Amino acid sequence: MDFFRRYKRDKVGIVFGALLVLLYAVALTAHWITPADPMAVNLREVFSPPSSAHWLGTDQFGRDVLSRVILATQVTVRVTSAACLFAVLTGVPIGMFVGYRGGWVEAIAMRLTDMLLIFPIIMLAIVIVVVAGPTETGVVVALGLAQAPTFIRIARGVTLAAKEELYVEAAIAAGSGWPHILVRHIWPNISTPIIVQATLTLPVFVLNASALSYLGLGVQPPTPEWGQMLNEAKDHLITSPYLIVGPAAALVVFVLSANLVGDVVQETLNPKLKKRK
Amino acid sequence: MIRLIVGRLLFMVPAALLIITFLFALFHLIPGDPAVMLAGDNAPRSVVDGIREAYGFDQPLHIQYGRYMAKVLQGDLGISNYTRDPVVNSVIPRIINTAQLAFLSMLFAMVVSLLLGCVSAMYWNRPLDKIVTIVSLLGICTPVFVTGLLAIYFFSIYLDWLPISGMSSWRHFILPVITLGAFQAAVLTRMVRSCMVDALGKDYITTARAKGAPELLVVFKHALRNALLPIVTLFGLGLGHTLGGSVVTETIFNWPGLGRLMVNSILTRDLPITQGSIFFFAMIFILVNLIVDLVYAWVDPRIRYD
Repeated sequence: MDFFRRYKRDKVGIVFGALLVLLYAVALTAHWITPADPMAVNLREVFSPPSSAHWLGTDQFGRDVLSRVILATQVTVRVTSAACLFAVLTGVPIGMFVGYRGGWVEAIAMRLTDMLLIFPIIMLAIVIVVVAGPTETGVVVALGLAQAPTFIRIARGVTLAAKEELYVEAAIAAGSGWPHILVRHIWPNISTPIIVQATLTLPVFVLNASALSYLGLGVQPPTPEWGQMLNEAKDHLITSPYLIVGPAAALVVFVLSANLVGDVVQETLNPKLKKRK
Repeated sequence: MIRLIVGRLLFMVPAALLIITFLFALFHLIPGDPAVMLAGDNAPRSVVDGIREAYGFDQPLHIQYGRYMAKVLQGDLGISNYTRDPVVNSVIPRIINTAQLAFLSMLFAMVVSLLLGCVSAMYWNRPLDKIVTIVSLLGICTPVFVTGLLAIYFFSIYLDWLPISGMSSWRHFILPVITLGAFQAAVLTRMVRSCMVDALGKDYITTARAKGAPELLVVFKHALRNALLPIVTLFGLGLGHTLGGSVVTETIFNWPGLGRLMVNSILTRDLPITQGSIFFFAMIFILVNLIVDLVYAWVDPRIRYD
């Protein structure tokens, strides 16, 4: 509760936090709040510009763009949440394990992690999509695995610090095995930096998920996704430029809110950072 | 310094072997018969069998692996499924096009971010600083393909000033370079600004000002020189990210680069081209990383003693 009290002091945090909550609410209720069926093809109404019936116009199949943007919010939230969870669930246990055990296992794991960190996320994700296939699940696996090295690194770092603590020594003296120590004694003490890292990487997940879909390697039509909608809109940029407005605005607002909320969460949990600004 | 260079160059050998191993694994990781994949979905039986024999897919795995490794080390990455040309021949010219795009974008980003970052730090917490901060924040939140589409709409369609796609004249470079560079410039401006704010708060700045040194000299000589160290690292990291961003930028502007070749090969299931582009991209990233490390060691002699 202390966290919320301190978070509330930041005006930027409140405004963009509210915006982010709103976007998640839109995502959760997408099926009920779309003004029209996002998948319904209507060939008599193709490329109609924005009007009172279709606020953001209709696309090349006469589908309502606003409804598709709303459904795409749900797709983005689903894909990025799953990918983030995947990255944490693969990266954190590995990082904790190698950080705690040390020795040659750690040396090899960290060498590999360092090598993977040379490559930009989008590159790793594209390579993984080659194997996992250009589907929604493929995107989740690709982004999750591509971000895992970041979490391995962080989890290892904080585990290294935590294992020197007296309570860990006490647990060892009491005869606890390493799985017990990792779960009961180390995890509760390292969860904060990992949650902060997850919040800070959320916009990275959103940007890369939509970039994959823009390239045609992510969510496939007819399922709407912002990046994929922009890719389709590009072919009609001369005749119907209004098609890019909805998905572009939604994408930028989502990434902006996620970025600012991440910054404020980090500052709230670690007030020392604030002075530097 | 020489020991550092040799050590880092030797690190490239296991890295390259790991990458080739991964490329080999791709044959078997991708669902389906690799021989059918290489021959194309509608190829006659005899062709598929020919390929299976040529690549040794009927042999045990370790023999296949040895054969593939030997072939790649001799510079043979196979032939394209569609054009039937050697992969290396279609990849090499693309690398040059991508390098041009990435290099110019990075140059653009460096100039813009140094300028805006210094100005922002000079006017710290004043309106000009706030404007730069907000613009750069918007910049890092706008994906390259959104900037690209907006740029195409305004400059190519609405104003009809610049070409949409291709790279046949210098005018074709403007939009892709600015689109890719702007994103990187936004990222770097924020970092240059914070490095400069840090540097301007140091005691030696107060000393310089007390001596009566003109403000521009204080900022660009005393502060910037000391802030340059972290900034050089940032620029190095930025070059890697620019190369990553080039994949999307090339797709938007139909730029005949390595990134677009890779994406198209994945979409058309042209596995040898995919493997070739992954191989060269990986080697480029490792090389860029090596150069950044060396530049860093050159700028800061303390690192050489590690």
